[in-house]
Amino acid sequence: MKTIIVLLIFCFAFAVTAIGQEKFATKTGEINFEASVPSFEEVKAENNNVSAVLETGTGNFAALALMKGFRFKVALMEEHFNENYIESSKYPKATFKGKIQDFDYFELSGEKEYVINGTFNLHGTDKTMEVPAVISKEGEDVWVTAQFVLKPEEFNIKIPSIVSKKIADEVNVSAVFKLQKQ
Amino acid sequence: MKKKRLFLILILLVVIGGFMVYNYMYQDHRDIQSETSQLEITAPYLLERFKTDDGASLLNKTITVTGTITSIEEGAVTLNESVYASFHEEIPELRANIKVAIKGRCIGYDELFEIVKLDQCTLIK
Repeated sequence: MKTIIVLLIFCFAFAVTAIGQEKFATKTGEINFEASVPSFEEVKAENNNVSAVLETGTGNFAALALMKGFRFKVALMEEHFNENYIESSKYPKATFKGKIQDFDYFELSGEKEYVINGTFNLHGTDKTMEVPAVISKEGEDVWVTAQFVLKPEEFNIKIPSIVSKKIADEVNVSAVFKLQKQ
Repeated sequence: MKKKRLFLILILLVVIGGFMVYNYMYQDHRDIQSETSQLEITAPYLLERFKTDDGASLLNKTITVTGTITSIEEGAVTLNESVYASFHEEIPELRANIKVAIKGRCIGYDELFEIVKLDQCTLIK
């Protein structure tokens, strides 16, 4: 009898860790950024093909955006973004790798605020940051949304003085990921 | 009389100049659908090229990729688990396990999923 109970506990523990180790991911995450200055042309772009992976067991979170996937309303702006600022042929992607603090998959229900500690890699430059994020669970999906500010100078992105008036020093970034169970 | 003529010519020049500047500033986006593809390649081979660091020359190029659909996402399909293609405007009705050729713009290699991504795709067949 005792062995059966012990065995059952083991089985249960194993099942729980197995569930806890699940991966949630998406290839169609959205990232928008805006660096507009009032009374000048809007500087805004969107990428709808961002990948992200969340490991529910560890709280590890990773995201990857291909820079050429950012679309602007004005074609010339898109060209300048790729060729002069972000240099997307040299640095084709931006990544974020981090760990969600105090994350427990089984506590997920409504929206809850978390902090993700991680490292951005953009324009070939690393920067460690604490990113506030809202995480929620809807049916089988886990939603991760975040809003934060990045500064081009911190990633060694130089903006010539002629246009610097038209581009904000602080770039507002927002990300939405609908992560599906893999 | 001469002055009037000069003035008219000046105005015409300003209008033409303005028009050219405007056209340059607000030129149209590339139309991938109407561009001829520069390369036709199978999905696994395209992935192989990026994995062996031989893909940089394909970035931003319009290419045609052939393969079998292995999964379907929102507005996108994955071919042979190696190429992810997101469609431009019309999303064709597709199902898994059929062979297709897709034209799109190569935007790079995604290490997280080990997949090459294409955007602004159209179905060729």
